[in-house]
Amino acid sequence: MSISRRRTLLKVVILGDSGVGKTSLMNQYVHNKFSQQYKATIGADFVTKEIQMEDRLVTLQIWDTAGQERFQSLGVAFYRGADCCVLVYDVNVLKSFDTLDNWHDEFLKQANPVDPSSFPFILLGNKVDIDGGNSRVVSEKKAKEWCLSRGNIPYFETSAKEAYNVDAAFLCVAKTALANEHDQDIYFQNIPEAVSETEQRGGGCAC
Amino acid sequence: MGFGGCLNWKSEDLSLIDTNSSYAVKPEHIGDVRKTRFKLRPGRTLSQRKWQSAFSEDGHLDIGVVLSRIQRGGVHPSIRGVVWEFLLGCYDPNSTYEDRNRLRQRKMEQYGIWMAECQRMESTVGSGRYIIKPVITEDGQPIQDLSSQGGNASEPGEKTVSTTENSQHFEEALAGTPPLEKTEVNWKRTLHQIGLDVVRTDRALVFYESEANLAKLWTVLAIYAWIDKEIGYCQGMSDLCSPLVILLEDEADAFWCFERMMRRLVCITSLCPIVD
Repeated sequence: MSISRRRTLLKVVILGDSGVGKTSLMNQYVHNKFSQQYKATIGADFVTKEIQMEDRLVTLQIWDTAGQERFQSLGVAFYRGADCCVLVYDVNVLKSFDTLDNWHDEFLKQANPVDPSSFPFILLGNKVDIDGGNSRVVSEKKAKEWCLSRGNIPYFETSAKEAYNVDAAFLCVAKTALANEHDQDIYFQNIPEAVSETEQRGGGCAC
Repeated sequence: MGFGGCLNWKSEDLSLIDTNSSYAVKPEHIGDVRKTRFKLRPGRTLSQRKWQSAFSEDGHLDIGVVLSRIQRGGVHPSIRGVVWEFLLGCYDPNSTYEDRNRLRQRKMEQYGIWMAECQRMESTVGSGRYIIKPVITEDGQPIQDLSSQGGNASEPGEKTVSTTENSQHFEEALAGTPPLEKTEVNWKRTLHQIGLDVVRTDRALVFYESEANLAKLWTVLAIYAWIDKEIGYCQGMSDLCSPLVILLEDEADAFWCFERMMRRLVCITSLCPIVD
């Protein structure tokens, strides 16, 4: 066996307007289930998921945040140290797409990463299942154009309800965050290696 | 989860579910919802009979007896609404029936006045409908697609009309109209947020299958947001308000209970004395 069984903690922050499905996406990915039971998220909450990527065991710490604008003031505390930011909008609600600029810029302002221009974002267009796609108001083309204008952000169309594309999207999140972490290692050699837990769970690979 | 846990209430945490039909769970959600630990305990639970006998002839309430019963065995579901009115301080246990009737009358009137004020600004208030899509842009331009809900509102936020198109459209219509007060703009901007949360509140309960009940919760929160401009509406308030809207049949009574609850919560968090 390889000796480099390094354990890495990646912090991922999910942002977007109220009701776009942030909590549902996170729970679909981590617990493989969709519930009609979710309430509005208050403040923020996080869950973790372990995945195996090549020879590394990666712990994703996924932060789910409240969509209401007034909670943005708590951002500094929640965004700090993030390795990747997942932006979510609802393809059926134009306003949730229009506010992406605001979420994107506000994140960079508050998280204050070393190199804002290369900080990894991922965009998810959620709820593509609704009404068989007939009620969508934001086209894939429009979303991809936005991604291109923001430094070629990876884009996924998802349905948390039908588990469509959710694993693929978060796998991309993990890869992107990991790549970013490599970059940061160059500058921060002596930052301690994540948290170490003794127990090691098998499987859990989302690939 | 320590402090982090305090920031978030998940659906299981407010144990609302018991034998009372007000809390009946939709058949498809039985199993999703955690069962209550509440059990009727004869001789301990505050029963309807015990509650009634705790009042003197003119209506003074022996709150000590009531509290010790509640502490030992909880409150019978059938009287929870009225009991909460005293626990939250809507009514003074030392008042008489007559005092309370007069006070309630005044509260009803005041609620009516605020309701009318809000109705003048947004006609959905008090119409038995509610709003889940933005009605106003950040700079105070109305959005035409008035998305009052009253019918099928199971999916929050369906179609929205382009706000830029609308603001152009409305520029003509609004020429000469004085700009809205900032307080009004701020209030209107919270209305759809309240709606988005209302449709997600305790939705395993049969109670919220009724559009009228969703509208009741929305209206109470909308009017509260208008009278408390400092707090307005903040996510999480729908969860706090929901049990009161379920337990108190009259909307104004539910509103005043919620108002008291908010006042107490604000005082607890800011360590100020509760002023009556």
